[in-house]
Amino acid sequence: MRAGVQSYRIVASWLLGGFVVIALALLVLPGRSYASQDREHLLAGMSAQHPAGTDALGRDRMVRVSAAFLLSLAGAVLAAAATTVAAAGVGTLAAFSPATLGRFAMLLCDVFLALPWLFLLMMVRSALPLTTSPAHSAAVTFLVLAALGWPACARAVYRGALELRSAEWMLQARATGLRRAQMMRHILPNLMPLLMPQFLICIPAFIIAEANLGALGLGIGEPLPSWGGMLLELDNSPMLMRTGWVYLPIGLLILILLLLEAVAAEVR
Amino acid sequence: MKAAGRLAKRLARAMLVVALVVAGSTFLVRFAPGYLSDAREMDARYGGVARVELSAEAARSTSLQQMLGTELRGWMHGSLGISRQYEVPVAGLVRQRLAVTGGLLLRSIVSAWVLALCTALVSSARRRQSLLWQLPSALLLAVPTAAMATLCMLSDQGGPVLVMTLLVAAQDFKFLDRMLRKAWQQPHLLQARAQGMTTVRLIYAHILPSISSQMLALAALSIVTGLSAVVPVEVIFSVPGLGQLAWGAAMNRDLPVLLGVTMIMAVAVTVAGMPGDGAGEWQGA
Repeated sequence: MRAGVQSYRIVASWLLGGFVVIALALLVLPGRSYASQDREHLLAGMSAQHPAGTDALGRDRMVRVSAAFLLSLAGAVLAAAATTVAAAGVGTLAAFSPATLGRFAMLLCDVFLALPWLFLLMMVRSALPLTTSPAHSAAVTFLVLAALGWPACARAVYRGALELRSAEWMLQARATGLRRAQMMRHILPNLMPLLMPQFLICIPAFIIAEANLGALGLGIGEPLPSWGGMLLELDNSPMLMRTGWVYLPIGLLILILLLLEAVAAEVR
Repeated sequence: MKAAGRLAKRLARAMLVVALVVAGSTFLVRFAPGYLSDAREMDARYGGVARVELSAEAARSTSLQQMLGTELRGWMHGSLGISRQYEVPVAGLVRQRLAVTGGLLLRSIVSAWVLALCTALVSSARRRQSLLWQLPSALLLAVPTAAMATLCMLSDQGGPVLVMTLLVAAQDFKFLDRMLRKAWQQPHLLQARAQGMTTVRLIYAHILPSISSQMLALAALSIVTGLSAVVPVEVIFSVPGLGQLAWGAAMNRDLPVLLGVTMIMAVAVTVAGMPGDGAGEWQGA
């Protein structure tokens, strides 16, 4: 079973890499931009010029899907990295600080976890100015995801760090007078088996959260392409009647998420 | 006596968490850069000077002391304040919608548990983990709730209960399958099986009691998942529940409504988590 999972992981990683290369190639081809409009071909089907047709504003769907994929993947990876670093910092410091401080840090985590995640995201995202530029809205969306994603991970790190604190080799290190900064150098590599799965789990979770926020109208602003924004196209009945290519983003999103889950599964 | 002390401590902590959630939410929303935004700022017919004037006017009419005083008075009277958007007491708005969301959550979670538990029992009884059993839950978890709801609406199949049931069941199945698989491997169960004890008796007498505390924790997680899914599901299916109310309040920066819904959600999540924590502690003891 383990060998099977390992092979799924390799295949999934290669497929993801392939998708990234194809998306990049589609974006760097001359004359292709996610915002450029072809007013002669609104809601067009498959053609040599537009292999996946165009949207209601005449923008190439394939290019927009590629840009949305790269944008969400890059944003989710950066946000997941920030979340993991924050969780590692909070969890480790809480475990190695006096007990009161540790309990306070965990109380703070409980406060964050007492609200359903999507609700919290919606609340924070909606509290931002209405006149935010698309680039800012994208940055803010992933920043909010990173800022709110750390508590669950920090709790796990805290538990792991507490175990490390009472480990025999750690007691020995403390008894020999190792300084706190020196100890951290030994603790962090030992926490990696805990941090790596958290990082990998966060990536698909953040992509889904961005898509859900976008579908509620609180995600990345137009004309920047996003999964959530493209899911909104599914609400447009006349568009659905004219072309089946509107289902491309959702199909591709599910495939990408399954591949990311497969990559995370083995490490987990 | 010790148990009563532990319970009191846990209740006090839960109340502190809820109070901090409400205080944090008020601070977050009130001091957010967009709180004083006016929808007219988006109107291209207004010039730059007019937009600045609109912002200044909004800031003048909603001083912090005035707002906090109004909020506090509303909470003291039990009306939870007056909605900025609807100009009616928040308690009335929440009461109407609480039953709708509660019913939706209850039906979804019960159906999800029946579906997930039955599937996990059959799947975990097999010796080898099969991809065929894991794929549906993996697939369902890879679909954003909003997309699943939209697809259901487009195909005219199912409704809010189905979407939430599938989502919660997919997540529960993932954990239940793992828990049950581990439980089946316990040496005393292997012995009991070898001695010819029936599967049904094994499940009722040994497996379910041994994973009860984990199941309680999972039940709390189901409630959190359900509450998260409530917002997109109610918005897309136009269900007049708390999720739709919260979304409308968030879009219109209706702080009193947002705080009312926040408190209900925080109480629901905190209370739901208490039995699981308690069971874990008692088992640990």
